Amino acid sequence: MNSKNRLQDSITFIFLFILAILFLSPILIVLMNSFKGRFFISDTPFAFPTTQTFVGMENYFSGIAKTGFIQAFGYSLFITVFSVGAIVLFTSMTAWCITRIKSKLSTFIYYFLVFSMIVPFQMVMFSMSKMANILHLDNPIGIIVLYLGFGAGLSVFVFSGFIKNIPHEIEEAATMDGCNPLQTFFLIVFPILKPITTTVAILNAMWIWNDYLLPYLVIGSNYKTIPIAVQYLQGGYGSRDMGAMMAMLILAIIPIIIFYLSLQQYIIKGVAAGAVKG
Amino acid sequence: MSKKLFNMISIVLIAVFVLAACAAPTAVPATQAPATAATVAATTAAPSATTGGEVYYLNFKPEIADVYTKIAAEYLKETGVTLKVVTAASGTYEQTLKSEMAKSDAPVLFQINGPVGYAAWKDYCLDLKNTDLYKHLTDKSLAVTSGDGVYGIPYAIEGYGIIYNNAIMTKYFALSGAKATSMDQINNFATLKAVVEDMTAKKAQLGIKGVFSSTSLKTGEDWRWQTHLANLPIFYELKDESYDLSKGTPSEITFKYADNFKNIFDLYLNNSVTGSKLLGSKSVDDSMAEFALGESAMVQNGEWAWSQIKGVTGNTVKEQDVKFLPIYTGVTGEEKQSISVGTENFFAINSKATPEKQKLAENFIYWLYSSDAGKKFVVSDLGFIAPFDTFSDTEKPTDPLSKEVLRYSSNTNLYNVAWDFTVFPSQTFKNDFGGVLLQYAQGNKTWADVTKLVVDEWKTEAANATK
Amino acid sequence: MQKMPKRYYALFTLPTIIAFLLSFFIPFLLGIYLSFTKFTTVTDSQWVGFSNYIRAFSEDQNFLNAMIFTIKFALVSVVLINVFAFSLAVLLTRKIKGTNLFRTVFFMPNLIGGIVLGYIWQLIINGILINFGVDITYSANYGFWGLVVLMNWQMTGYMMVIYIAGIQGISPELIEAAKIDGANSWQVLKGVIIPMVMPAVTICTFLTVSNSFKLFDQNLALTAGAPARASSMLALDIFNTFYGRNGYEGVGQAKAVVFFLFVAIIVLLQLRLTRNQEVEN
Repeated sequence: MNSKNRLQDSITFIFLFILAILFLSPILIVLMNSFKGRFFISDTPFAFPTTQTFVGMENYFSGIAKTGFIQAFGYSLFITVFSVGAIVLFTSMTAWCITRIKSKLSTFIYYFLVFSMIVPFQMVMFSMSKMANILHLDNPIGIIVLYLGFGAGLSVFVFSGFIKNIPHEIEEAATMDGCNPLQTFFLIVFPILKPITTTVAILNAMWIWNDYLLPYLVIGSNYKTIPIAVQYLQGGYGSRDMGAMMAMLILAIIPIIIFYLSLQQYIIKGVAAGAVKG
Repeated sequence: MSKKLFNMISIVLIAVFVLAACAAPTAVPATQAPATAATVAATTAAPSATTGGEVYYLNFKPEIADVYTKIAAEYLKETGVTLKVVTAASGTYEQTLKSEMAKSDAPVLFQINGPVGYAAWKDYCLDLKNTDLYKHLTDKSLAVTSGDGVYGIPYAIEGYGIIYNNAIMTKYFALSGAKATSMDQINNFATLKAVVEDMTAKKAQLGIKGVFSSTSLKTGEDWRWQTHLANLPIFYELKDESYDLSKGTPSEITFKYADNFKNIFDLYLNNSVTGSKLLGSKSVDDSMAEFALGESAMVQNGEWAWSQIKGVTGNTVKEQDVKFLPIYTGVTGEEKQSISVGTENFFAINSKATPEKQKLAENFIYWLYSSDAGKKFVVSDLGFIAPFDTFSDTEKPTDPLSKEVLRYSSNTNLYNVAWDFTVFPSQTFKNDFGGVLLQYAQGNKTWADVTKLVVDEWKTEAANATK
Repeated sequence: MQKMPKRYYALFTLPTIIAFLLSFFIPFLLGIYLSFTKFTTVTDSQWVGFSNYIRAFSEDQNFLNAMIFTIKFALVSVVLINVFAFSLAVLLTRKIKGTNLFRTVFFMPNLIGGIVLGYIWQLIINGILINFGVDITYSANYGFWGLVVLMNWQMTGYMMVIYIAGIQGISPELIEAAKIDGANSWQVLKGVIIPMVMPAVTICTFLTVSNSFKLFDQNLALTAGAPARASSMLALDIFNTFYGRNGYEGVGQAKAVVFFLFVAIIVLLQLRLTRNQEVEN
């Protein structure tokens, strides 16, 4: 029995190992190509750089210059961090409020918000960009409001699912002690929400960091985020520089990978928790 | 923490949020540092210069996007007015213009491509007949007019044809059994075809990968065929009918010179650096690079492409070897056909912008074409052949292809292939034409499919435009 | 606590609601209204009734083709991704060496954004196809399978993580009981594990279905619809209708409404279907 299990386990291990390499290979291939000269990439992407085709860091420098990558990074970072902050703060408050106060209004608000999860972006894209323009939200600060609105559905959904399962007693004790709802929430409830807050933060961060269409329509002509900068290289401009493109793809992935590797425990746990509890 | 303090902090947080949402933010994170030209190739925004005002120009030409950074810096220095230039990606000008015009900070200076562009944007085009720049236009018939209003001022005369590398051609002529011994002998399609096919057979000896550069048919990169090359059969058809271009788009065409288009298009496809099934991923940039690196001997494009050729690292093409050949298609009498010179670049000013902004835009375009600094940019960096009398004969671009354009247009023995494509019904028509050409190149559609699409779509799009 | 003074209720909910109204709900209503009008900017809309909807389907085949393409894509992706993810989850709950490392690796592609993802795979697929003398624009089928591969790469890890959580949530007693009853691994899988992870199946199916239908960034980057829009999915087709040409904004909005109804119906149906299969713990 034992040796049969061990054999099975070894085969499984080898299979998974090969699969893992396959999974990583696209990224590695792009990395390899980012060091090749721009005319030697599209036709032979699987070839290793040779002395003739190796260009060192040149693609990275020209890519950064062409796309203003550093600024794009700054905008992506600013928008993601503050949008996620706003979402976590306000949707947790809303979720707690409508979960604790059971009323018709609460139920309505819940379904009202959750409904938005089904609506595809194209449905609102034109009118939203018009609204954003009229309300002067078409800049990196205003876009935070837009993301709060869009992220509300999923976030309230996830928060509510979790809050439903928190026992009332602690909160009731706090109220009886004379705390008002704000204090009850921030001093008592919010700390308890930490695991699910991580989930919500991560889910939203991933989506916002990688989002292309919304920032493109609303702030794209003035402010570029990383996805817009990458697509920009493809826009032709008579200069579709494959080398710069490869380098930019890598630069676009690096922050996310660092973020992921340092927090992956929480991320994976959070994703699972969010899904199962929801 | 005391309850009071807590409450206060919470209210403050909410207030900050509400304020951020409502206020027109002036404190944008300072990242648009003015100096470095190395940064964003599209926008050239200097820090909010509300003192001198701002001119927002939506630029159509990607090839010269970088030059505007320098122009903006100079203009700011001379006049204190900020020039903000945004360049639309290849093939997306209409789209970008539309979404930018819908915003409260819309472009005040933009471009229309001729009568068809004017028809689409007439509600946004200011009458320019009293502007300084218009007064200096040498040939007033070139402008886009309607009634007695002037709505588009041409800002560059351009020409396109088959760019060839004379060094390679000379090498070919020296080979035994060559089908021609000098470029002058190549003055019709039959000879061109014979020469090209012979060169393909001898490409190893010539050291090239193919006679023609890739026929780039990637989405957005196919304008050389669906617009420029397509111009030839349409030009001849409309000439036969003595069609008056100022009437705008003809409601339908028969595409009677379709076979001529096919002649040259097949020649491009079959004698190319790249196999015809791989063209969907090729861009114009790839084609110009192939020419610049000596991999091909010929590439169809216009004089604006010189900066692309020059800019390729490791280019082997010499300035004195770069010349134009007219695009022959097998039409009778084409020995007297020249290259194709015209314009589809007309300045237009937003009639819905404030009068102050309009004036700033008028000042800018006049400055560009009359001040010393501006004219220098036009001639040396933008490479425009400017149709204004503010330019003396010595102030013309000196790059090899512009010189060729001037050479051909002053040759009175040859007739010009006018830019009839300015009356093509719509961008959608052109895009779909390009799409079916790709499928034809890949062998997925027949030539009959192509001609059918051209005729049918011309009709529907022309009808749509008048809805 | 059951009671909260009104002003607090407002305080807690207003920021979210206001943002939601501004960025989502009002545009949504506006979108529905505009789908019945002809407009260029919002202020010049003229009522035209259902003609936009009719034009969306009748003028050219693009919308219908995109719909068929998208449905096929969603079906194939949903099945493949969930089968893959579930199988991997089963393998990774077997306590073999390196489970954590594998989980990390398989999940990683999910972090990468749509645009970047599309270009990565475009490079690879073209690199493979060039050996056959074609490229990805040669046929919409290449685009189709390219998107399927891409989607699998991106989503399998994510779904796998959810399935793992689901499997780990099954109380060991149930499995023990089954084994004692003489069930082999396969029967345990069929009889115990699968029924008990139905909630995870619901979530995963919902996520893969809605993501597949709404796909845009990856479509834009991988093929941009080539050849001749044959590999456009619904979202890209709508985007092109809106911004690609003049005079079609109303049609684009109508298409978007149809798209929304379509997605809503499918998702609701799917949720209904899988919820019914769930076994309450």
